[in-house]
Amino acid sequence: MTSTLDAPRTAPRPAGVKRPPRASRLRGTLLGSVLTYLALCLLAAVCLIPFYMLLRNALMTTPEVTSTDWQWLPGALHWENFTGLFDNPERPFGRSLMNSLIIAVVTAPVATLFASMAGYALARIAVPGRAVVLALIVGTLMIPQAVTFLPTFVVVGSMGGVNTMWGLIAPGLFNAFAVVLFRSFYLSFPAEIEEAGRLDGLSHLGVYRRLILPNSTTMIASLGALSFIDAWNSFLWPLMIGQDPNSWTVQIALSSFLTSQTVDLPELFAGTVVAILPLVIMFLVAQRHIVQGIAMSGLKS
Amino acid sequence: MTARSALSRRGFLGTSMLFVAGSVVACSSDPQGTAAANGADVTLTQWYHQYGEEGTQAAVKRYAAEFTEAHPGIAINVVWGADVSQYETKLNAALLGDDAPDIFELGDFRAEMARKGQLEPLDDVYGAAKSGFNKADLDYLTVDGKLYAIKTMDDIMVLYYRKSLLKKAGVTPPSTFAELTDAAKKLTSDGTKGLFIGNDGIGDSPYLLAWSEGVDLIDGDKVVYADAARSIGGLRDLHADKSVLLGFTTDWYDPGAFNQGAAAMQWCGLWALPAVEKELGDDFGVLPWPAYDKKGRAVARLGGWSQAIHARSKHVAEAKKYLEWLWVKQTDLQIDWAVKYGFHVPAQTEVAAKTPEFGKGAAKEAARISTEHGKSFPAEWTQAMQAGFIAAAAAVAKGAAPARTLDKAQAKAQADLDKQTV
Amino acid sequence: MTATDTPPLHTDAVPPAPAAAPRRRRLSERRAKILAFAVLTAPMLIGLGIFRYVAIGWSFLLSFSEARRTIALGDWVGLDNYQQLLSDERFRGSLTMIVLFTALIVPLTFAASLGLAVLVNRVRRGRAFFRTAFLLPAAVSYVAAAMIWKMSLFSGVPSGLANTLGALFGADPTPWIQTQSPPLYWIVLVTLRLWLQVGLYMILFIAGLQSIPRHLYEAAELDGAGPWRTFRSITFPMLRNTSVAILLLMLIAALQAFDEFYTIFSTGASLGSEPVRTPLMHLYGVALQDQDYGVGSAGAFLLTLLIVLVTLLQGRILGFARDKD
Repeated sequence: MTSTLDAPRTAPRPAGVKRPPRASRLRGTLLGSVLTYLALCLLAAVCLIPFYMLLRNALMTTPEVTSTDWQWLPGALHWENFTGLFDNPERPFGRSLMNSLIIAVVTAPVATLFASMAGYALARIAVPGRAVVLALIVGTLMIPQAVTFLPTFVVVGSMGGVNTMWGLIAPGLFNAFAVVLFRSFYLSFPAEIEEAGRLDGLSHLGVYRRLILPNSTTMIASLGALSFIDAWNSFLWPLMIGQDPNSWTVQIALSSFLTSQTVDLPELFAGTVVAILPLVIMFLVAQRHIVQGIAMSGLKS
Repeated sequence: MTARSALSRRGFLGTSMLFVAGSVVACSSDPQGTAAANGADVTLTQWYHQYGEEGTQAAVKRYAAEFTEAHPGIAINVVWGADVSQYETKLNAALLGDDAPDIFELGDFRAEMARKGQLEPLDDVYGAAKSGFNKADLDYLTVDGKLYAIKTMDDIMVLYYRKSLLKKAGVTPPSTFAELTDAAKKLTSDGTKGLFIGNDGIGDSPYLLAWSEGVDLIDGDKVVYADAARSIGGLRDLHADKSVLLGFTTDWYDPGAFNQGAAAMQWCGLWALPAVEKELGDDFGVLPWPAYDKKGRAVARLGGWSQAIHARSKHVAEAKKYLEWLWVKQTDLQIDWAVKYGFHVPAQTEVAAKTPEFGKGAAKEAARISTEHGKSFPAEWTQAMQAGFIAAAAAVAKGAAPARTLDKAQAKAQADLDKQTV
Repeated sequence: MTATDTPPLHTDAVPPAPAAAPRRRRLSERRAKILAFAVLTAPMLIGLGIFRYVAIGWSFLLSFSEARRTIALGDWVGLDNYQQLLSDERFRGSLTMIVLFTALIVPLTFAASLGLAVLVNRVRRGRAFFRTAFLLPAAVSYVAAAMIWKMSLFSGVPSGLANTLGALFGADPTPWIQTQSPPLYWIVLVTLRLWLQVGLYMILFIAGLQSIPRHLYEAAELDGAGPWRTFRSITFPMLRNTSVAILLLMLIAALQAFDEFYTIFSTGASLGSEPVRTPLMHLYGVALQDQDYGVGSAGAFLLTLLIVLVTLLQGRILGFARDKD
């Protein structure tokens, strides 16, 4: 954990300034920090309850889940709820996981790359009309994403994209917001790198490919992580585009648990666990990038 | 450091290229395109919604294979689709594009689809067999004198009741709405509610109430359901007693609440009968929705699924051949489809009469209810009308003034209807 | 983010290039620049062109067309579609409802995430743990969360968590999602969104908090200011820019709510009995279920208008507040 957000609060104290020596204040601080910890522990517990309930239910049998007698833990761990998910031919859960994976794994790098390319050009390559291009890209941010779902559907539908993988992926590859973030990132990029590259005879594209991209990995990782999360969790678009269960994403498969004629509760919860597991792991492993991505996209807006 | 970052950059680009390639492969192995199977000249794409019953998917694929065996030039690519709640939405979306299916299932039949030229007329598919089909279904699927779909099964919805619980509470099977309310109240005890009509406490009841008062939804070119303000107003009494089960895990179309004893009476479909029988033996009976009062009539909703052909399909003739082969001629397969997986009534009256499962007990009673009390939505009914109607009824259940609320919704529905018919 | 602004340089990765003749280079320089610019921006421009500009333009035209069960243009009806929607009580109801929802969820999320940020930022040990615990829900999709809320925490059956807790106090099992009076479903909707979002905004606030110069706190401590006064006179004012940005994000997200409403209220069969619907849900119904693309498109633009109005209003109110300072 080396993110700036972890920086301990050991600020340099101006010379000659001492902590106020009053005992009451000291006691207040101690009490305050005990209370802070208490509150934090309590809130963290509340925050984690849904995860606990989910796991508990996913490993129980239906009678255990619906029993009115509260049980903290399952009597036995019913892992078959998880295997059962994958052998129901009517709901191709494995396939939907695969689809979500493909979508997220394609979207994250490609969308980030496109944004980085455009961001770099807009920041560093001065050509006539650059302001117009920037305005065109920023302009799409004025209209909220969710409102364009219908028009986009109309266009993708008329191009035959309903029910296809490209129809699911393509509209998500163009993130104007990421362009803006990349642009401001490249604006503050040291010019020496490019100059050195140009002196060595690299073309503009060569500079971008050989020098700029390798120097933007942190930025790419952060925004790529966010893009991956968005792609994995998106619901409305795949809901409209995917008819055949073979083109369902995991979110759609999940929602079909609720509307199908018979509800298998433990399997429903097991499905939810599987659906959120990849991102939970990602949050635990790549938290630094995610936190940075969030902080960046929030503060630059 | 340098080597590593160059590597990671190459890795990054390489990975993205790999996955772009992968997605292209994924696109080309798209379900719509797969079944250019074993040398058939024509491949028809057929959409089904997702049936809940085990074995249904295998069954329709088997029927398709049998057809191809008999007609080697024509292969059928069965697309097993979304569940009921999303199927129509997605079908509609697909019909806009170029990848539209040739043949598809329809749940609620929409006359507007025929009028907008999305459906192929099927009179020649029925041919002489037409007279053998359930008359109510034929009327339902006829728009401006032409038949646009063929019913593959009839689903009748009925009121299931637990005989033993009614006996214990000292009530008889209700024959009027007042009796139903009263029974629901008396049957409500610790852990059991009297009646389950849906997790939202509304379900199909607004339709049933209107029909049971003798009021239809649409009469000619007028929406008229507001005339049923009196009966729909009854929802408030039903809810005021807190005798209606709300927010169960499964919804009304699943017999779970009834089987587990969470409700003593439940509005559900005939499809649930085998499951109920297995769980409760003969401790249950079925009823139509009771008449609103002595002047009204008992009703039951007649649903089911039909097959239709896309008018813009390139293979209309082959599609017709398939529908005729399966749903007109193959009576064995029709019976198999109706009773081997779930429990539905075959659409051809004669075939239904030949089905042994409808010869006895509650099933026989349900079949009787189907012919005597069955009622379908009007073909002009749309999802918007349904949403407006149900919302109005939900408001009434909450305490809104019935006549005014329904009038408002009706005016909106009328505008919808006018738009359809111009 | 200072951590990413000055990356290490890797200039040694450049292979030696042949020295080009200076004159030729200057001549082609302009063209090369334009070419490079075009290549780099082309994917983004083409994509946005098709999926945003063409889409928005087409939809705008559709909103003036009669387009039932078709997306073809041509049957112009003027403002009929807008009029029809605005006279539709259910759509107006959905607009009212989303404004209410926003007015409820935004201050709550704002206060909760700011509070958490301040608390987490105060502790020295275990900060990473607490941050992870609060951020983890952000990994969960609305659909998955709605599933947990609907089927487990606030399920109407006695085994639901809320009902199990209620039973400890002798309460009867309550159908949380279906109970209309009092409207208990608000508890379900609000807690769900709060849980999902609070971690994200907390991160933003922590980033904001850490950019506040330390010496201000030292000075306050010298003045003997208590924690509340410190918060009011230093922390909160210094977070102004962060707060404005966060409010904007929250507002836009709330006004576009769809996923959790859809999942929580979908019943599989009947439609329309949901106690509240968001504008986006209404438009989904109009366009995709009822196949009226004209009216649906009109609704998309009305919703855009609402969002623009609310954000402008927010800017104005906060702008005034700034003037007063």
